[in-house]
Amino acid sequence: MAGRVAIVGYAQSHHQHDIQMTREDMVFEVAKGALRNAGISREDVDTVITASTDFLDGRTISNLYTSMAVGAYLKDESKVEEDGAFAAYYALMRILSGVHDIALVEAHTQGSVVNPHLVSSYTLDPLFERQYGFLNDISAAALQARMYMNKYGVSEEQVAMVAVKNLMNAADNLNAHRKMPDVTVEEVLNSKLYYDPIRELTMSPVSDGACAIVLASEEKAKEITDIPVWIEGVGSCQDGYLRDRSLYKLDSLQKAAQDAYGMAGVSNPFAQIDVFEVSEKYAHEELMIYEALGLCREGKGKTLIEKGMTGKDGEIPVNPSGGALGADPICATGLIRVVEAAKQIRGEANGYQIPAYRALAHGQFGICAQKNVVFILGSE
Amino acid sequence: MPYIKEERKETISVEGDWDIGGSTTWKDSTLLQGYAQGLKEKRIIGSLCPGCGKVIVPPRNICGRCHRKMDEKVVVSDIGTVTCFVISAPFAKGKMQVLGMDPVETGLVGEGERVISVYVKLDGADSNIDTELIGAKPEEVYVGMRVKAVWAKERQGKLSDLEAVEPLRD
Ligand SMILES: [Zn+2]
Repeated sequence: MAGRVAIVGYAQSHHQHDIQMTREDMVFEVAKGALRNAGISREDVDTVITASTDFLDGRTISNLYTSMAVGAYLKDESKVEEDGAFAAYYALMRILSGVHDIALVEAHTQGSVVNPHLVSSYTLDPLFERQYGFLNDISAAALQARMYMNKYGVSEEQVAMVAVKNLMNAADNLNAHRKMPDVTVEEVLNSKLYYDPIRELTMSPVSDGACAIVLASEEKAKEITDIPVWIEGVGSCQDGYLRDRSLYKLDSLQKAAQDAYGMAGVSNPFAQIDVFEVSEKYAHEELMIYEALGLCREGKGKTLIEKGMTGKDGEIPVNPSGGALGADPICATGLIRVVEAAKQIRGEANGYQIPAYRALAHGQFGICAQKNVVFILGSE
Repeated sequence: MPYIKEERKETISVEGDWDIGGSTTWKDSTLLQGYAQGLKEKRIIGSLCPGCGKVIVPPRNICGRCHRKMDEKVVVSDIGTVTCFVISAPFAKGKMQVLGMDPVETGLVGEGERVISVYVKLDGADSNIDTELIGAKPEEVYVGMRVKAVWAKERQGKLSDLEAVEPLRD
């Protein structure tokens, strides 16, 4: 990269099912919190990038209303209609352009005000899938799960082990929503069935929440903080739409990860990355993510979870924060992964700290994780 | 009414719905409730910014200029000044729909009537409210005109309690 860019501040809400705050107050708190954490004020910010969707916000061009809450009044501002991790990617590019030095990135969703799974059917092709009426994000994820599980002989128990790991991890995270310190594989397998094999505890919960980070150019970052978290590599990739996609693997994540590894000079992620924060909207997706990130061979994600290698005490901890299964305020979820990865590097992951010099954060958006973005963060 | 393109050979029109099949809600602080409750007692409430001292009516909870919360509420006057106005074209039966109804047919406005929409800066406020000016002909309204609130006879603590403004005559 031409210059370097660092994360210099962050904040997130206490994600929960039904937050007693307006959307604007929620946005205000995390924006203000991230600026405070960076030790700068609104006046120092050059550009603001937000992430949410109009459907989930219940109004079109919804950033027009949240702009004052986020601190974008009379500033350069733009919005991505997807996960906040893509907003961070966008903000990074704005700084690399040389035009801006400091960017504020904010993402939020109040999942409690509208059924997000109903909204998901409106992301489908209006001519075919939507008219058939079979698919929504959950039933499509069920197809994805079955294709993956059939191809590689993955059992429901192995998928449930991902849920157990993440829900137990969430119990140690102050900001997580669904904390289950004593959950068992049996409990997961007996939880409510939505579309076979997707169950209540193998899909992410509907959460209200927000997250914000401050990005700065190398020069500004060194002025602002003694503990910059450098973005060493980044990759973003978009897959094809359903029908001609290979649902049993995450091709676009694999490509995004390779790009990010290349930029960061990572040749062996298993050995060179200390902790992973990924957006598994469904438990089976985390196994697919292991494979796409190159942590194991195709179809061998089940071995990593069975051997406990991705647990907090394992060799490659994945989602010590509890991941998306622990809280999923939809558009904020990927940006929260970036924050959780940055916390690990700054040594601020109270209760679930992993000794980390380099971390990976992943965000996704779209039916069956159609679009993916990967960040490699480091301390030096 | 769906907008149907002129039929062409290359494309067809497929009708579809855009109904999300459920409802959405907006979480409000107690701002709207407090404002509407004030109207019941003929009081117009605004929020005061502790940073810039501006008073915003109807109240808002965040000042974007100062990036601060505006928790303090103040009462502003029900008398103010027209800062801008817009005069509609004459209403005619069967020509337009407001909230799914024909305003002439329902008797909301008379045939040929012109409605005056005004932006009013109430005394004590730093922002404008948008409302209707009644009791004046289109040719009588001007920027700077002094107006006062017209209150509903039976107020119920709803936004409609503040019906319109009318010219202030002394
Ligand atoms: Zn102010």
